Amino acid sequence: MAGGKVNDGPRILVFSTDKISDPAIDMAGLLKLHYPPTVYTISIPCSSAVKPRWILHALEQGFDGVFIAADGTDCPYGESCTEKTGQVVSTTMQMMKDKGMDPARLKMAAICSVCSEPFVNHVKSFSEYLRKSSNS
Amino acid sequence: MNMQEPRKTLEYDVLVIGGGIAGGESAINLANLGYKVLLVEKDLSIGGKMILLSKVFPTLDCAACITTPKVSEIARHPNITIFTGTETRKITKKGEHRFEVDILQKPRYVHIEDCTGCQLCEEACPVSVTDEYQYGLVGRKAAFIPFSIASPRVAAIDIENCTLCGACERVCPTNCIDFTMTEEEFLVKVKAIVVATGFNLFDPLKIPRYGYGKFRNVLTSMQMERQLAPTRPFNTVLRPGDGKLPDNIAYVLCTGSRDKSVGNPICSQICCMYSIKQAQLLMGALPMADITIYYLHIRAFGKGFNEFYVQAQDMGVEFVKGKVGKITEKENGNLILRYEDVEAGTVQEAEHDMVVLSVGVLPNLGISDVFENEKLELDPFNFINQSDMLASPAKTSIEGVFVAGTASGPMDIPDSILSGGAASAETTSYLRRESL
Amino acid sequence: MKKKIGVYICHCGGNISDYVDVEKVREAVKNEEGVFLAKTTMFACADSNQKEMVEDIRKEALDGVVVASCSPKLHLLTFRGVVERAGMNKYNYVHANIREQVSWAHSDNKPGATEKAIQVVKAAIAKVRHAEALEPIKVKSTKAVAVIGAGVAGMRAAIELAEAGAEVYLIEREYFVGGRTAQWDDLCITEETGKELVTRLYDEVMKHKHVTLFTGAELVDYSGSVGNFNLKVKVTPRYFKLQCSSDELQKAIEVCPVEVPDEFNFNITTRKAIYHNYPSEYPQLPAIDMKNCTRCGECEKVCSSVDFSQKTEMLNLKVGSILLATGFDPYEPKKGEFGYGEIDNVVTFPQFKRIVHYCDDKLMYKGKEIKHIAYIYCVGSRQVDGENKYCSRYCCTANIHTAITVKKKYKNIYNYHFNRGIRTYGKAEVWYDESSRLGDIYLQSFEDHPPVVEKRGDQTFVKIRDILTTDKELEVAADLVVLVTGMVPRADNSIGNLLKVPKGRDKFFNEIHMKLRPVETVIDGVTIAGASQGPKNIMESMNSALAAATKSFSLVDSGELALEPTVARVNEEACEWCGKCEEACPYSAFEKVEKNGKTIAKVNAAVCKGCGMCLPVCPENALDLIGLSDEDVESMIDALIPNA
Ligand SMILES: Cc1cc2nc3c(=O)[nH]c(=O)nc-3n(C[C@H](O)[C@H](O)[C@H](O)COP(=O)(O)OP(=O)(O)OC[C@H]3O[C@@H](n4cnc5c(N)ncnc54)[C@H](O)[C@@H]3O)c2cc1C
Ligand SMILES: Cc1cc2nc3c(=O)[nH]c(=O)nc-3n(C[C@H](O)[C@H](O)[C@H](O)COP(=O)(O)OP(=O)(O)OC[C@H]3O[C@@H](n4cnc5c(N)ncnc54)[C@H](O)[C@@H]3O)c2cc1C
Ligand code: SF4
Ligand code: SF4
Ligand code: SF4
Ligand code: SF4
Repeated sequence: MAGGKVNDGPRILVFSTDKISDPAIDMAGLLKLHYPPTVYTISIPCSSAVKPRWILHALEQGFDGVFIAADGTDCPYGESCTEKTGQVVSTTMQMMKDKGMDPARLKMAAICSVCSEPFVNHVKSFSEYLRKSSNS
Repeated sequence: MNMQEPRKTLEYDVLVIGGGIAGGESAINLANLGYKVLLVEKDLSIGGKMILLSKVFPTLDCAACITTPKVSEIARHPNITIFTGTETRKITKKGEHRFEVDILQKPRYVHIEDCTGCQLCEEACPVSVTDEYQYGLVGRKAAFIPFSIASPRVAAIDIENCTLCGACERVCPTNCIDFTMTEEEFLVKVKAIVVATGFNLFDPLKIPRYGYGKFRNVLTSMQMERQLAPTRPFNTVLRPGDGKLPDNIAYVLCTGSRDKSVGNPICSQICCMYSIKQAQLLMGALPMADITIYYLHIRAFGKGFNEFYVQAQDMGVEFVKGKVGKITEKENGNLILRYEDVEAGTVQEAEHDMVVLSVGVLPNLGISDVFENEKLELDPFNFINQSDMLASPAKTSIEGVFVAGTASGPMDIPDSILSGGAASAETTSYLRRESL
Repeated sequence: MKKKIGVYICHCGGNISDYVDVEKVREAVKNEEGVFLAKTTMFACADSNQKEMVEDIRKEALDGVVVASCSPKLHLLTFRGVVERAGMNKYNYVHANIREQVSWAHSDNKPGATEKAIQVVKAAIAKVRHAEALEPIKVKSTKAVAVIGAGVAGMRAAIELAEAGAEVYLIEREYFVGGRTAQWDDLCITEETGKELVTRLYDEVMKHKHVTLFTGAELVDYSGSVGNFNLKVKVTPRYFKLQCSSDELQKAIEVCPVEVPDEFNFNITTRKAIYHNYPSEYPQLPAIDMKNCTRCGECEKVCSSVDFSQKTEMLNLKVGSILLATGFDPYEPKKGEFGYGEIDNVVTFPQFKRIVHYCDDKLMYKGKEIKHIAYIYCVGSRQVDGENKYCSRYCCTANIHTAITVKKKYKNIYNYHFNRGIRTYGKAEVWYDESSRLGDIYLQSFEDHPPVVEKRGDQTFVKIRDILTTDKELEVAADLVVLVTGMVPRADNSIGNLLKVPKGRDKFFNEIHMKLRPVETVIDGVTIAGASQGPKNIMESMNSALAAATKSFSLVDSGELALEPTVARVNEEACEWCGKCEEACPYSAFEKVEKNGKTIAKVNAAVCKGCGMCLPVCPENALDLIGLSDEDVESMIDALIPNA
């Protein structure tokens, strides 16, 4: 690819969920609500299934940020999802601090199955944050 | 035809007449429960009107993306047999769970199993005629594949226009073209029947004031649907008159609906919504174009419809409440609409460079005539009558004959699919009664 | 590791290729490790391409397939089916979404979209490289269905399911069946009244030995999953013996000192704590409403059928599928909305239906005869400021039909319809036409200029800027103002939360896909019917009830279901049994077992739902989801980083 990469914004990995947040991200596309093309998703069954080591792997391999599009209270697998996802996030943030990484490079928000606009707003502002913090 | 040869007799559990989305849904449900289904389609491809649409309201899913997998699921289901190009001639009810049906398969002059859809015959054929699948917007050959996502996607010979030059036969790599094919008659014995023969579109030639057929830049909504579809004839939206990009398009709603003077007093239920959909798609395809919708009432009633209507208003589609009386043509092909502006309370004129007539839904007549000894009753508007509309909407005047989709009245795709589901449910319990 | 992967990149007839350079994507991935062939196609889902894929898989003996096209929600199952037909295990198929999440999301940035598409396809290839063939987990499915709600939709579905051959439990929260339809007399579409329709359905329900009806019953808890749901149903007694003499009952009702607003009549009348909604209601047995009963014991003295010893019961039911038909509530206007609750002759359309029911030859309300009726449409629907953006669909037609009935039933009625554009769609147009011919007057405003209701002296006026008469301000003095209220989801919709059924933008239960799977929800085994899914008239509710019955039946019919094998897996060597996974699993899928002298965790594959909640809690990293191992995820992450 001559001239290098086309997409040079901050790279964000999104963990979305098969039944709740991934449909919202699909709908963002359907509604042509644009967001940076450096946002990539991996869809998993439930947001409380994310292993901290995956997040660290992504950050260490070159992602600037990781966004967990959590099921929130809509999780089809049970109410404990919110709490457990929160647990994953706090554990990981602690690990990030221990490694000297900015814990704000990990972000989580509940994205319901029709929350397309909130999703786009979240990744846009996250991207903005990452851009600023990498310049500073 | 060799009349000595006895007709072949076929046996199935259920006959589904009509391979549109409603008939298809019924057939799949029944087949999944283990019943053997014969699906008879009079056209060369199954999929009905839906397979020819662009995107569908209110979600803007691409119609082909939803129809094609359904259609291929039907096509490859082990419990479903499909006869395309086939007419139902006569239906006799011999008793409960005993129907005898005469069907006639028209020759396609191509052996379906062998044709690879390579389109070489299409290239070779010297005859050009207008293409009914593109609603007359472009031409096709006498040897042709109906459209690119047809099922089956194989060639057919339009024998009425064919000159029998033999060019296609010579180029066909698999020798599947066969001019010796003849009509074939079958006797089909089934236990129940689902009628899903769909609807007809209103023919705007019946309203000469609108100039359809005379003014080239007056189209029907189905023609616009084709212009917007992924399998579209041109790569963009064009004025058929001169190939220019239109930039000021008008929609005339209720063309042929809610109009006693053309014999159709009812509302067609879909044309408001498909016009709003086309308007949104046009704004995407031609960002500079102005779009005006002339309406009496906007029937945006279904799940997500009103929101879709409001979205179109927000996008800048102009909605004018008023009835269009007459359309005239200017020399440059532009059109003058004379309409009664309800809000202003006066008659006004407006110029547009393209006009789309949002034609209504009419009953597809004929199927009731093939029932021999029992009458398949029609409603006052000539749709198939639902004999127990509130409790069993799929029931007809004949026990064991059920109706699905727009054969019983205007409806959109979601409603047609639910109605197809209802017909398959009622058929299942009717069939169960036999085995008890 | 796979060596012969086939990659198919879809144009989607321009939906993708208008923004993503699919040829460039093909070029970029064709030399990825393990890729044997890479093709582009106009419609990947079309029959012709499916055939071609089957041929490729067979002829080239492919060992893995990726299709890059639309969202997997649409076509994952389609393409799994394709590879299966070619004899490949369907778990060797991986789907890449380059439409919803690439071409459409980034239609503003074509080069960006193309680059993202390349990474997304590469990640899918990375995943398929590690994919393993899996066999579905077979579980027995109980041939029984629970239908929740005995309105017209629920009863119709129950009858159909029973006829098809399933055992049906029909669970109704109220003491009486019929739902809303029992509250309306005249119905549009046919001559049959609501009561007659309910009677007809109830008789069929009772006739059927495979339907068991529970009234006063509510689903309070459940466990299990598709094929095997265990339901806990709380049945509140009616405090009445099965036999009951109508004379004694009449006396009991008379002596009951408690009077409460009668919800059946939308609170325009009152009833006692011991009640039935109307004589000969189904089941034909009164009930005592314990929320309001003071236990004074008066009724017991005069009626021998009263039985306060009856106890609330808990039932355990086992079913293979759940069909939700819990219906809707009419919108309740806010105090002051068009004068509601403040001006005494402003009522809602449901209340109006009940008023008409009680008035035989003269239409009376609060002691006054009604002649001039003003109907205000779209109350609670098509809101500009409020949350209900949708149209309630039934109301224009049902209200015009009622207005015609009223005009024919009583003398000297004048109807004024204050509307926002009448939506008598389809054949209902004829009633609109008829009402205009009968002299009804239609006045129309736009959404943002609703009519105003005012009381001046002892008269109530409705004022509008009527666009049908060039925006003139017109005013009508009305004896009764009817607010044509829309449909909203049930106020108590806790059952939806219990079962985790998602709601749409309109807050009604949401289907998976309006056209592909209109009666199924994302919760496997739970289907939705009738007005619980969105506003519908009766015929439409029936169609959806029948369609949902078919889907539910197909899940329980064969007695066996094939479940996804993508469940949790324990690395037995690493596992040191700490019990954390057992604690984390919401389905109790873990067992503590002894194996080779070591205590370890074991997953019950038929119970595990593959949610993955257990994965992060294991301190030994001994847990994986099949199909989502560390290797799978990390190799996808690596592939998503361009030029890494
Ligand atoms: C311009 C336009 C745009 C539209 N856009 C949308 C949209 O965006 N969203 C939406 O929801 N709806 C839309 N619709 C409506 C949609 O097309 C219909 O709801 C749907 O096609 C009805 O399906 P059906 O199966 O009932 O009938 P049809 O599609 O008419 O299918 C009937 C089938 O039966 C066959 N047949 C007929 N008679 C016989 C016979 N005697 N023997 C054998 N076969 C027979 C026909 O050839 C046909 O294949 C649109 C309609 C039009 C006209
Ligand atoms: C004023 C008015 C007039 C109408 N007129 C007409 C007309 O003329 N023609 C027409 O076709 N349609 C008419 N309708 C529409 C019609 O009422 C609905 O289409 C129909 O009632 C929908 O039926 P349903 O079974 O889906 O819901 P419902 O009638 O609401 O029944 C749902 C049932 O589920 C029960 N339930 C709810 N939650 C639970 C729970 N958690 N557990 C157990 N049970 C539960 C309820 O008690 C109820 O019995 C009218 C509606 C209104 C408001
Ligand atoms: S034989 Fe007929 S169909 Fe074939 S090429 Fe000639 S004209 Fe066309
Ligand atoms: S749907 Fe709209 S355009 Fe079609 S007939 Fe009804 S009111 Fe007219
Ligand atoms: S059906 Fe009529 S009254 Fe009801 S919300 Fe729609 S437009 Fe308003
Ligand atoms: S994935 Fe883990 S937590 Fe989820 S159901 Fe299976 S064993 Fe339980």
